[in-house]
Amino acid sequence: MAATATGPFGFAPAIAVFPLVAFVITLLFGRHLPKKGALPGIIATAGSLLVSLVMVAAVAGGNAHHTELYEWTAGAAMSETGAETISFSFGVLIDPLSALMLVIVSTVALLVHVFSLGYMNAEGETGLPRYYAELGLFTFSMLAFVFADNLLMAFMFFELVGLCSYLLIGFWFRTKSAPSAAKKAFLVTRFGDYFFLVGVVAIAATFGTVGFAGEESFVTAAETAIDNGTTLFGFDAETWVTITGLLVLGGVLGKSAQFPFHTWLPDAMEGPTTVSALIHAATMVAAGVYLVARMFGYYALSPTALAIIAFVGGFTALFAATMAVVKDDIKQVLAYSTISQYGYMMLGLGVGGYVAGVFHLMNHAFFKALLFLGAGAVIILMHHEQDMWKMGGLKDKAPVVYYTFLAGALALAGIVPFSGFWSKDEVLFDALAVGLEQPVILAAYAMGLIAVFFTGFYTFRMVFLTFHGEPRSETAEEPHAVGWAVKVPLIALGTLAAVAGFANLAPVANLLGADITFLEFWLDGEYGYVEGLTYHAYHETVAFEEGYIGSETTTMLLSAGLSLGLALAGAFTAHTLYNVPEPARHTRKLGGAYRVLKRNYYQDEYQVWLAEGLTLPLARAADRFDQTVIDGVVNGTSRISLSGSNAVKRLQTGIVTNYAALLVGGFIGLLLVLGYIGGWFA
Amino acid sequence: MMIEALIAVALLGALVTFVAPNRIAGKLAFAISLVPAALSLWLFAAFDGSGNALRGGELAFESQAAWIEIGEYSISWFVGLDGISLPLVVLTTILCTLAIVSSWTPIDERESQFYGLILFIEANLIGVFSALDFFLWFVFWEAVLIPMYLLIGIWGGPRRKYAAIKFFVYTNVASLVMFGAFIALVFGLGDSVTSFALPEIAGAMLDGGPEGFFGLEGTTLASVVFVAMFLGFAVKVPIVPFHTWLPDAHVEAPTPASVLLAGVLLKMGTYALLRFNFTMFPEQVEMYAVPIAAIAVISVIYGAMLALAQTDLKRIVAYSSVSSMGYVILGLVAYTQFGVGGATFQMVSHGLISGLMFMAVGVIYNATHTRMVTDMSGLADRMPIAVGILIAGAFGYMGLPLMSGFYGEFTIFFGAFGSDLLDYSPLFTAAAMFGIVIVAGYLLFALQRTVFGPYRLETDYEVGRAPLHDIAPMVVLLGLIILLGVAPDLIFDMITDAIDPIIQYGGDL
Amino acid sequence: MTVDVQYYVLLSMAVFCIGLFGVLTRRNALLFLMSVELMLNAANINLIAFAFYHGNLTGQLFALFTMALAAAEVAVGLGIILVLYRNFRDVDVTVPTTMRW
Repeated sequence: MAATATGPFGFAPAIAVFPLVAFVITLLFGRHLPKKGALPGIIATAGSLLVSLVMVAAVAGGNAHHTELYEWTAGAAMSETGAETISFSFGVLIDPLSALMLVIVSTVALLVHVFSLGYMNAEGETGLPRYYAELGLFTFSMLAFVFADNLLMAFMFFELVGLCSYLLIGFWFRTKSAPSAAKKAFLVTRFGDYFFLVGVVAIAATFGTVGFAGEESFVTAAETAIDNGTTLFGFDAETWVTITGLLVLGGVLGKSAQFPFHTWLPDAMEGPTTVSALIHAATMVAAGVYLVARMFGYYALSPTALAIIAFVGGFTALFAATMAVVKDDIKQVLAYSTISQYGYMMLGLGVGGYVAGVFHLMNHAFFKALLFLGAGAVIILMHHEQDMWKMGGLKDKAPVVYYTFLAGALALAGIVPFSGFWSKDEVLFDALAVGLEQPVILAAYAMGLIAVFFTGFYTFRMVFLTFHGEPRSETAEEPHAVGWAVKVPLIALGTLAAVAGFANLAPVANLLGADITFLEFWLDGEYGYVEGLTYHAYHETVAFEEGYIGSETTTMLLSAGLSLGLALAGAFTAHTLYNVPEPARHTRKLGGAYRVLKRNYYQDEYQVWLAEGLTLPLARAADRFDQTVIDGVVNGTSRISLSGSNAVKRLQTGIVTNYAALLVGGFIGLLLVLGYIGGWFA
Repeated sequence: MMIEALIAVALLGALVTFVAPNRIAGKLAFAISLVPAALSLWLFAAFDGSGNALRGGELAFESQAAWIEIGEYSISWFVGLDGISLPLVVLTTILCTLAIVSSWTPIDERESQFYGLILFIEANLIGVFSALDFFLWFVFWEAVLIPMYLLIGIWGGPRRKYAAIKFFVYTNVASLVMFGAFIALVFGLGDSVTSFALPEIAGAMLDGGPEGFFGLEGTTLASVVFVAMFLGFAVKVPIVPFHTWLPDAHVEAPTPASVLLAGVLLKMGTYALLRFNFTMFPEQVEMYAVPIAAIAVISVIYGAMLALAQTDLKRIVAYSSVSSMGYVILGLVAYTQFGVGGATFQMVSHGLISGLMFMAVGVIYNATHTRMVTDMSGLADRMPIAVGILIAGAFGYMGLPLMSGFYGEFTIFFGAFGSDLLDYSPLFTAAAMFGIVIVAGYLLFALQRTVFGPYRLETDYEVGRAPLHDIAPMVVLLGLIILLGVAPDLIFDMITDAIDPIIQYGGDL
Repeated sequence: MTVDVQYYVLLSMAVFCIGLFGVLTRRNALLFLMSVELMLNAANINLIAFAFYHGNLTGQLFALFTMALAAAEVAVGLGIILVLYRNFRDVDVTVPTTMRW
């Protein structure tokens, strides 16, 4: 039942307030606190996690929560659908989706805070109060974004998330590259957010509401408008929903680093690795996909928008996976894998696989946080060396790091029974089912499927180069030790990455006929839910036909077998090429393709050209135009009046006699003129 | 009598400061300016007006006294506040106080004259925003120019004479155009008006409008006057292509003068547009909506592009003011509650944010003695707090949520998108919104080059932390920006209350 | 016996023209001053003639005023000429032309 119970839900705002308080405390007093301000953040995120778990428990108890906290502003609306007033407010929406995401975000944030003790404090970094303050603000923004109950609030915290990532990516501001990467991250996502903001404004102006849930939501209003065949801004309702949906999607593509806005993400590796973990697993990048899931009801109304989401997702999954194959920097490999994995989520959501998309979002949060923290641990081991060709043989020297990293790698590659397998398989199965009826989706599916092979390959290439074989540098032979603050988060996340998949064993459930698809039940309103925001409701709205090869079960098994086979094939290829004592670089053999991949398909080049080769000269031209033409007219006016008066002033000879003559002449002239007008000479 | 008290305190304070010794002038002016600031905050708390001053609304702190009789027309001392003018008065008093504090470091000659002029500007600015008689208003309007001319001309940079004269002549010529047009309008209204009181003229414009004057039909006259007044105010705002005085004036002006120039003086233009053009001529607004929206969009994009090409920090902020003022025009021409309300909010918000930005740039200049982006990098290393505030201000300028700039821009966009009055409003809005990308571009580009990266400075100065009295005013401004961003209804409620009568008439068209 | 007013006006015009001619042609400052005096007195003649013609005293009164003014003017004028001479060793009015742009 959709209930607006209070009880435990009254504490919901505290989830976001805790990190905000930590931010303020650390900002003001961080220098004087022990551990340079890490403790307030750890306590706050632990508190957030606790309250989030309470929320999950409350939702599991059959309740949901939707309330307005604070009215930001309200006024007369000019909506197309008849609403007379509009209210912009901050509210809390706790439903299965947001409760789940809250737990994910606060878990990852907590572990990142703890890990930072080992990664930042122990390494003697300066500026740590700033680091922890920004981390707190980041967590605050993301948590508030997650429980936002309307699109505008979501946009606002979406932007704050962008700000925080800007600050954190540029944490090492004394270098040249970090500020540049931070700027790029903010600008590219800002470009996406421009479309998002246009979308928010359009939706607000169309429906007179920006709420996500309930009768007052824009989703309901859009549904009614489509049913009534209303014309909105000169378009029929469904077209307009597609347009606005795609505008909002601009923000999603920016934040979730989907093609063509993915270029900022690899550069963002300039930030501390802990920040990368947070950005990739639970905050910035996750925000985009989460937003699609949050307003899935709206996208469900437009098959066109969904197909575009699916196609972009599938394309990005493959596109990014191929680039990851040739990277030498361990963080770069992970960066491209993030882009690729979020492509899968988009693919899942785009084909109407709401559960699959969210499932992969959850699993990915755990295993990607694990992999990044693991990479962070490797970087500590290697004395801040990130080139995988300088590593090797770390397996025996740091077993905890190795085994947890391996768990994450298996999950990422999608090897049964690690978490990534189950969710990726579900995404691909949903895509295949729809694809059998829709050629466009089938193409997206095919790309996603091929990407599985590359994923297996680059993941294990990374693992083998880093941990296996012989040490290829002196630091790799004598690695730096890591402390408990590094190991504890790794072990926690390693466990989660291994077992999180059991939340939704769809193929097993289908085979055995057992009711063990818990996540699906969770998102489908078996427990607490908000009317209209369930998998069931979405599934009814999505207009895709589904087809099967044989029966549903055979299709599912076929799909699962196909993806597992490809993943294993990829891993095996990596094994033969790189799991040798002295691995060689095979990438050169790719020839021209290697150059293209190494240059990331020249995506950066053309975007940098857009900024520096096009916009900047255009701005300079505008400046020249302004200085010469527009200001030239202004200065010309003054020059003309100056030279005019310069000519006239020659009358002032300084000789009194001339003045007297002028006076007399003027007087006589005036007399004549007046006389002529007066008719004296008529 | 409260408004008189405000103006009188500032004027007397100006006199006292003028004759005070240089040594104590700064502190004295600060102490004096606290009085109007506190008083205006009290006015804000005690505000009991409702409706629009020109549409028969309930005025707060109204006072009226006969002044001059010219023929059939009477001119009176007529002041009062409504929801549009009160926030601007508060903005003025607060910004003046902070500007005085921020001049303690950079101003080191003729202090008593400098601070006297600042207080004199304050008195006149309060007058501009509270006067409701055209002549009285015009006296204040023109009187603002003189101290600003002197501030730029005496304490300015190397090209101060050029900038000061350009500023003075340009805006003065524009005032002349506007003045002539308005007098023509009053004569055109014939017997229906007997005074220069703005409410009376606005009322007469609603009841049939002008009969005609100088051989022009009534409606033609109204259109001509509308265009002439629009051009007159456009220089002040400034709207492209009348903006070129602004960067020159800003670059040469001392920091506190820049703060007041961008923070309050530009708002005189948009305030006057709202009071005169957009209140008195709803039919002409509809007639010229598309061209006005077009130049608003051009102002936004073109101004931002110009800012992108600059390498002088002050010029960057100056051009970005042109861009931000374009948003205000777009909001006004939308003629919806959120559009006009958002535009009015943006006036206040931009006053705070641009004031903050100029102060921050000034603090950097005090330390480095250069404003060229190419001359420095890595300042965050040496002056972390000042740079932190600069970054916060820059993000405020970019419209970061929970800061006042976002609210102003969002409401303008929302109000403009669904405007009934403006044709193609979604396209205009979407085009103007692209400004938020470019603004992020040039500000982040400038930040990257100046405050980040390895520390480097081309000038021979030791850069240390800024003194407390440089930081404090910026912190106050930042606090106000965040306060208004989180709780915009503090002033938005009274703004909407004051603009609703205008919009309602527009809605009946 | 009374003289018609037009003769006075003719006289005044003649005197005025002589003065004007002097102002326009003379370069000596003293002569200049004298010419100005002539023009002033032409005006005085006019004032008195018309006062007589109209039969009221206002014109005569004004003439008295003008005479007093003329006296003051001569005083100032002579002072200026003295200064002029001191500075330029000359009383030619075309020599000091520095008071222009």
